[in-house]
Amino acid sequence: MLEVTRLTLIKSFFRLFLLQASWNFERMQNVGVLFVVEPVLRVLYREKDLQQACQRHLSYFNTHPYMASPVLGATVALEQMRANGQEGTFSVDDFKRISMAPYAAIGDAFFWGGVRPLAACLAIFFASRESLWAPFVFLLLFNLPHLWTRLFGFIHGYQRGVSIVELIQRYRLPDVAIRLKEAMVVLLGGLSAYLVVGVCRFEQVPTPWAFVALPLVFLLVFLARKGTSALFLLSTVIVLIITLFQVVKW
Amino acid sequence: MQIVLARIDNRLIHGQVLESWVPSLKANCIVVANDEVAHAVMQKLLMEAAVPRGIQVIVDTVDAVSELLCSDELGDARVLLLFATAHDARRAVESGLVLKKLNLGNMHAGSGKLQCSCTIFLDNDDVVDLEKIQACGVSVTSQCVPSERETKWSKMVMKRV
Amino acid sequence: MTFINLIMASLIAVICGLDRTAALQLMLSRPIVAGPLAGLVLGEPLIGLQVGMLVELLWLGRLPVGASIPPDDTQIAIGATFLSVAFAAPDFSTPVTIVFCLLVTMPLAKSGQFFDRMARRANNHLVKRVEQNVLTGDLSMIAKLHLAGIGHFALAALMTFVVVAGVGSLLCLILMPHFVFWLVAPVNWLQLTFILVGSAMILASINVNRATTLFGASFVGSILMLWLL
Repeated sequence: MLEVTRLTLIKSFFRLFLLQASWNFERMQNVGVLFVVEPVLRVLYREKDLQQACQRHLSYFNTHPYMASPVLGATVALEQMRANGQEGTFSVDDFKRISMAPYAAIGDAFFWGGVRPLAACLAIFFASRESLWAPFVFLLLFNLPHLWTRLFGFIHGYQRGVSIVELIQRYRLPDVAIRLKEAMVVLLGGLSAYLVVGVCRFEQVPTPWAFVALPLVFLLVFLARKGTSALFLLSTVIVLIITLFQVVKW
Repeated sequence: MQIVLARIDNRLIHGQVLESWVPSLKANCIVVANDEVAHAVMQKLLMEAAVPRGIQVIVDTVDAVSELLCSDELGDARVLLLFATAHDARRAVESGLVLKKLNLGNMHAGSGKLQCSCTIFLDNDDVVDLEKIQACGVSVTSQCVPSERETKWSKMVMKRV
Repeated sequence: MTFINLIMASLIAVICGLDRTAALQLMLSRPIVAGPLAGLVLGEPLIGLQVGMLVELLWLGRLPVGASIPPDDTQIAIGATFLSVAFAAPDFSTPVTIVFCLLVTMPLAKSGQFFDRMARRANNHLVKRVEQNVLTGDLSMIAKLHLAGIGHFALAALMTFVVVAGVGSLLCLILMPHFVFWLVAPVNWLQLTFILVGSAMILASINVNRATTLFGASFVGSILMLWLL
């Protein structure tokens, strides 16, 4: 009975942080995957078998970098079963092939769409008060769920193998992501209001004028939805403001 | 029912579709037309787990999907239709599905495939399929995410040669 | 500004640039972190913080999903911080310099996408070599070749920083004497514009039903609270 030692697993786990080092347009994270599972394969296979195993892992692969943790944890478990002659319901390659896209979607929605903007919003509150805590707040809020997912995703993936999928279904992360985004939108509204009122007070403009910012933001949203780029919108508004000030002065 | 986007994407449901296309087009129904996935229980489950509630997911064979979309069954849904390969898209179009536009998202590398843009790799069969689709009056363009520029398919094929 | 400062800033540019795709992804690459970090090695962390805060939201909604590459806000934050420190003049307040340097560097964000794409193309060759090595049974090179990709991404980050800081410096030298006066009076409103445009970009790209309603309610509620309390 071949078993992957804890030390090998730890080695693989740390290699996960370099998964995307050779990201390429042709097969995306494929060499990265081989790099992560290589220590495990070296324990499980010898010579010709090892070479074939390596070859198998060079096929097209791409998922969210954090969610690669549960996928590859399960992959390691499946490889171990395979090396011991136990074939489960899924081959290693089938599992990788079918799980990469859904896991990527979940990771994109949860981390890029949910946690990251939320953490950024909170950090900007700190930054607007010139507090150097801002980057720390951001890093802490973002990296707690991130590192938790990496670590426990890998451990659970290894322990449960294919049934890691049930875990994903139970957490309903896409729905959690929607909640996070809603919270973020509310915070963003507060942040914008706080900054607009701040500038109004500083420039001695009566506070009710702050409401004017709202239709302006809505107009910007409308234009952005039509495909106008951030850079274009920003420069247009800035030119308008400068012109307005010059006209008023003149 | 309205098909807001028909797309060839070998990754089917993934981040680009859910995080970029769905919000920008306000789609509320994702239809996956793929013979293989239609019979793979686990893959179907995983796909459904990746989509938030409030967005309907339909996974079925290419023939069943084109039949469904030609009928009036989906009411006033805004459909985002996904194919895995050019061949599947051609089959759907030839079986009577009316599309105005076909978007090429990801068509990944394989042996004998040549790179046409960052994420699109085509072999001769793909080119034939896409030409047939275009001959049916469908405009074929490539665009990964809405914020990227749209490229005409004819321009990409020129690049390939 | 000394030569050592420049070297340190480039080092931060490479470290944060690698964090974008190639390694770790602890989000050191977000402007709100990269800006203060660059500011720290240049001796002005607060300048970096202000730069980071203004850029943070603008491209936050552009996700690095699949093969799509968002504009390089990391190098913009670092480059603009560098320029703001280098071109700080006693005639103008710091925010004026910051806004000017940001406006000058932001159009250069595209160069980051260009270099990033080059790095990823270069990685295609690594894949070919790994495939050949595995075919011939030589497995010793897998890790080395894979890690060589870090070199490509590091070079891309460095090149982007050089373009942003270099072209940015040139533009500052030429344009600053003529145009910076215009920014003095409205500077607070201009800073606010960055945040509001950023918010709008996020609202436009988010997949939440009624995002604008939620935003509007929260905005109005907050103003009422700040005004009346």
